[in-house]
Amino acid sequence: MSEQYDAIIIGGGHNGLTCAAYLAKAGRKVLVLERRHLVGGAAVTEEIYPGFKFTVCSYVVSLLRPEVIRELELAKHGLHIMPLLSSFAPMENGDYLLTHPDDSSNYHELRRHSKRDAEMFPLFNQMMYEMAHAVKPILATVPPDPSAPGLRGLRDLNYLRKHVQGMSKKSFHCLTKLMTMSVSDFLDEWFETDILKSLMALNGIIGTMLGPKSPGTAYVLLHHYMGELDGAFTAWGAQQGGTGGVSEAIASAARSHGAEIRCNAHVEQVLVKNGTAVGVVLENGDEITSKVVASGCDPTVTFRKLLEEKELPDDLVSAIDNFKYRGSSGKVNLALDGLPRFSALGDDASAQCMAEICPNMDYLERAYDDAVYGGFSKRPFMDVEMPTANDPTMAPPGKHVMSIFVQYANYALDPYETRDAQRDAFGNAVIDTLADFVPNIKDLILHKQVLTPWDIEQRVGLTEGNIFQGELTLDQLFFFRPAPGYSDYRTPVKNYYQCGSGTHPGGGITAGPGRLGALEILRDGNV
Amino acid sequence: MSDYDVIIIGAGHNGLVAANYLAKAGRKVAVLEKKSDVGGAAVSEEFAPGFKASTCAGGAGYLSQTVIKELKLVEHGLAIEPRDAVAFVPQPNGSHLTVWRDTERTVGEIAKFSTSDAEAYPRFLAALRPMAEAVRGLLEITPPDLPQVGWSDFPSARTMAGPMRKLGRKNFNQFLKTLPMPSADLLQEWFESDVLMGAIAASAVRDITWGPRESGTAYTLLYNWALSNTGLFRSSGGMRGGMGAITGAIATAARSAGVEILTDCAVANIVLEAGRATGVRLGNGETLSAATIVSSADPRTTFTELLDPGLLDLSVVRNVRNIKYRGSAAKIHLALGALPEFTALAGDKDTSPLEGTIQIAPNMMYIQRAYDCTKYGDYSPHPYLDIEIPTLTDPDLAPSGQHVMSITAKYAPYQLRNGSWEGHREAFVDAVLSTLGEYAPKLRDSILHKEVLLPGDLEARFGLPEGNGSHGEMTLDQFLHMRPLPGYAQYKAPVEGLYLCGAGAHPGGGVTGLPGHNAAREILKHAK
Repeated sequence: MSEQYDAIIIGGGHNGLTCAAYLAKAGRKVLVLERRHLVGGAAVTEEIYPGFKFTVCSYVVSLLRPEVIRELELAKHGLHIMPLLSSFAPMENGDYLLTHPDDSSNYHELRRHSKRDAEMFPLFNQMMYEMAHAVKPILATVPPDPSAPGLRGLRDLNYLRKHVQGMSKKSFHCLTKLMTMSVSDFLDEWFETDILKSLMALNGIIGTMLGPKSPGTAYVLLHHYMGELDGAFTAWGAQQGGTGGVSEAIASAARSHGAEIRCNAHVEQVLVKNGTAVGVVLENGDEITSKVVASGCDPTVTFRKLLEEKELPDDLVSAIDNFKYRGSSGKVNLALDGLPRFSALGDDASAQCMAEICPNMDYLERAYDDAVYGGFSKRPFMDVEMPTANDPTMAPPGKHVMSIFVQYANYALDPYETRDAQRDAFGNAVIDTLADFVPNIKDLILHKQVLTPWDIEQRVGLTEGNIFQGELTLDQLFFFRPAPGYSDYRTPVKNYYQCGSGTHPGGGITAGPGRLGALEILRDGNV
Repeated sequence: MSDYDVIIIGAGHNGLVAANYLAKAGRKVAVLEKKSDVGGAAVSEEFAPGFKASTCAGGAGYLSQTVIKELKLVEHGLAIEPRDAVAFVPQPNGSHLTVWRDTERTVGEIAKFSTSDAEAYPRFLAALRPMAEAVRGLLEITPPDLPQVGWSDFPSARTMAGPMRKLGRKNFNQFLKTLPMPSADLLQEWFESDVLMGAIAASAVRDITWGPRESGTAYTLLYNWALSNTGLFRSSGGMRGGMGAITGAIATAARSAGVEILTDCAVANIVLEAGRATGVRLGNGETLSAATIVSSADPRTTFTELLDPGLLDLSVVRNVRNIKYRGSAAKIHLALGALPEFTALAGDKDTSPLEGTIQIAPNMMYIQRAYDCTKYGDYSPHPYLDIEIPTLTDPDLAPSGQHVMSITAKYAPYQLRNGSWEGHREAFVDAVLSTLGEYAPKLRDSILHKEVLLPGDLEARFGLPEGNGSHGEMTLDQFLHMRPLPGYAQYKAPVEGLYLCGAGAHPGGGVTGLPGHNAAREILKHAK
């Protein structure tokens, strides 16, 4: 006798959990099925090496929608984000740029490099703040089908039109530039200091197979400016105990409303009868029925793996098959025997919690060129976070963990090399490059975990290892995400919904897709 | 009383097209050209004794059909002859792909490389053609002053209505999605052969500094497609006498409509009175007055040379400074003692495949790699070459039995990051000829004379900043309401009485005549 649930959520990533929490909060009987032994998807903390906790995949938090934090009361459930106040970017000549949380120290540091840029910097931030505000209502809008928006879509579009028309011309022109330009060209209009530009350009390339000179990357920069922590735009933070803590908090909120979360439960297929989803089949053959099913997985898994092709119209099949993933980032996690020292900083360890290896713009562009034709960057861009600088509970006393986000690594591998050999070579390129800036790093490594995009795909189930469940390019945003006509969280299969980052508003730990997906399920009223 | 109703600065094709429309509407129009010939960048010149080439602009087949019809250019001598071959793409291994106007014939060629692509090609054309039609509608509008859209935008938006209806619902979505895409992604959705994709992608990046992997190049592909005389992504054919003959015909039409064209008449600056443009001061100090001044020069030249930028709003000056020009192509004209023999055509006496464009871009990623160098301020050691041999169909351009080869060589940045061009000029030309030599080994021996025009030379000779023929890159951030300047996309300049009608204005570059056509419509609307 099979159990009867109101809703089954496939995938216990942060969006799946968010969707579950909203449905449970609305009084529905919800079951979350997670393939792995722990919830969180790509936002997990795992003890890979005894005593050391690794934030295996994603590692910082900024984009989590404030309405989700509020509505699910995540603070009560253990959400505790510590702001990351400084970014440190060493240069090849031994100098560095260190951004500060307060405007005055920041001004003095920037002024060392350029007086003009020091003066422009607050103006730039003000402008980006306005831009982020301008697009904010879009983040909470269900994208309509542009060619057949329906009454509700027309109402939403009309609201957005009024909102946009309320912008000054100057702001709208700036928004046009952000939507279309390369982050490099965009920053060139504001700044002259190369290290400042490369430090800022990072947020334009993270998670994409695009270089800073590729058009479209200015939007990715804006995407990363939409984060809010305690009402402050653009701030980054780290969850105490690693990003797994964010997923745990959402899971705890879901459970508190009665949701059931089952790990080690691998969904093989969605059960469809007469074009309507009625439950799921697990890998072990178990069938679980429910009134609705929602997938937090990426569009390829949601449509092409969990469903049979006959359930889908041709245009959706071809749109999903053409959906661009192109995972470009890898991860290297290190257990360290002591404190790593950046040669540029000398003995000052205070700024070491967040370092960016992006010594100049050309460096970033060349790192991209290395990977775009296959392979990986010989000298990669790295976003180095040492959570133990803020949160000593992540490692034994005196020891440290270092979480290194690396770009670029092409998902498509060199066919003449084994995966193991390429993973080793990639890991070595990362450590060798890092050693140029942190001379003692090699002596400190107790354990090294290397993940290529392929490994991320195998481990977390993200197609081609794309951390955003699909590239954030103009043709894959808003009503094109994941495909025009299918961007409202519904699918051609009745009672089957999408709630992952492959839908609007996209990737990052935002919980936006999970929330909007849940609200659409409730709106349909079939459960 | 003014000397003229309208003075147009520059007798390039857009200035001449605007002059035609304004004169036909009864205005007294003068076109002032600093050179001794009309044509601007679309000219035919003798570069070696007895050898004539279209020195700067190429691409005869993009002139707007609307303009041709409305100005009755054919009656004034315009005769662009179509060719069967569109693009001949030789491969290093001696094979080749030729794109013909005729779909069936092209399908046969593609089948040599991929049977599934051969099957997909007609479907690709059928799917993209309505999109190109929709883009053509877009090119003829006056861009709305976004984000404000008013009733005044409706008349010009009507040109879009028909093509949009034809697109239909599903295609409308696809159209919106396609515009910002990289051409590489668009092509990869249809094809598997990198050779075929390269043959098509070349047209997307012909006039732009980017490689096919950059977003927005699907739009430039559709832009060329919208205007091309072949119904395909790339035009083919030319007019006897070269590009100069085309502008010559537009000038003839203008004169017959009553336009006064003054050559050797350089404008030193635009005269402002109480903030309003009232005339122009010539190089010789003389002043001519008019109720309306129209500049067909690019925006940088117009706002910083013809006007004193100190008199303009600071934000306008900043926007002018931010326009990205970035010329990235060199022009090389060769006088040849004999027709070059392409290995890929070995033994074949039929030279008709060479009558379109010869594209040295054996595959799509080759073009992308050629582009990569410019990111670091370098020229491509293996450049993408776009070649025409006009003498195949117009033997009068060279002495009997001899030939002219015009090469557009990409990518050559305006400025080299390390050192000046002077130290690298020969090396670059050598890279071009060596690359070409891989496909036509005996070419070097038949060169009688060559003329090399780097982007800096094109700037000096044709007044094209940074050597960019489009008066500003055709990128999505310089498109529609952003072109030529954000907030001033309706052909009216930020100076009362002054209009822009050059390629710097919507819809942009190429010998299309559309900026001139659209600008004239706006001028007639405002200036009574």
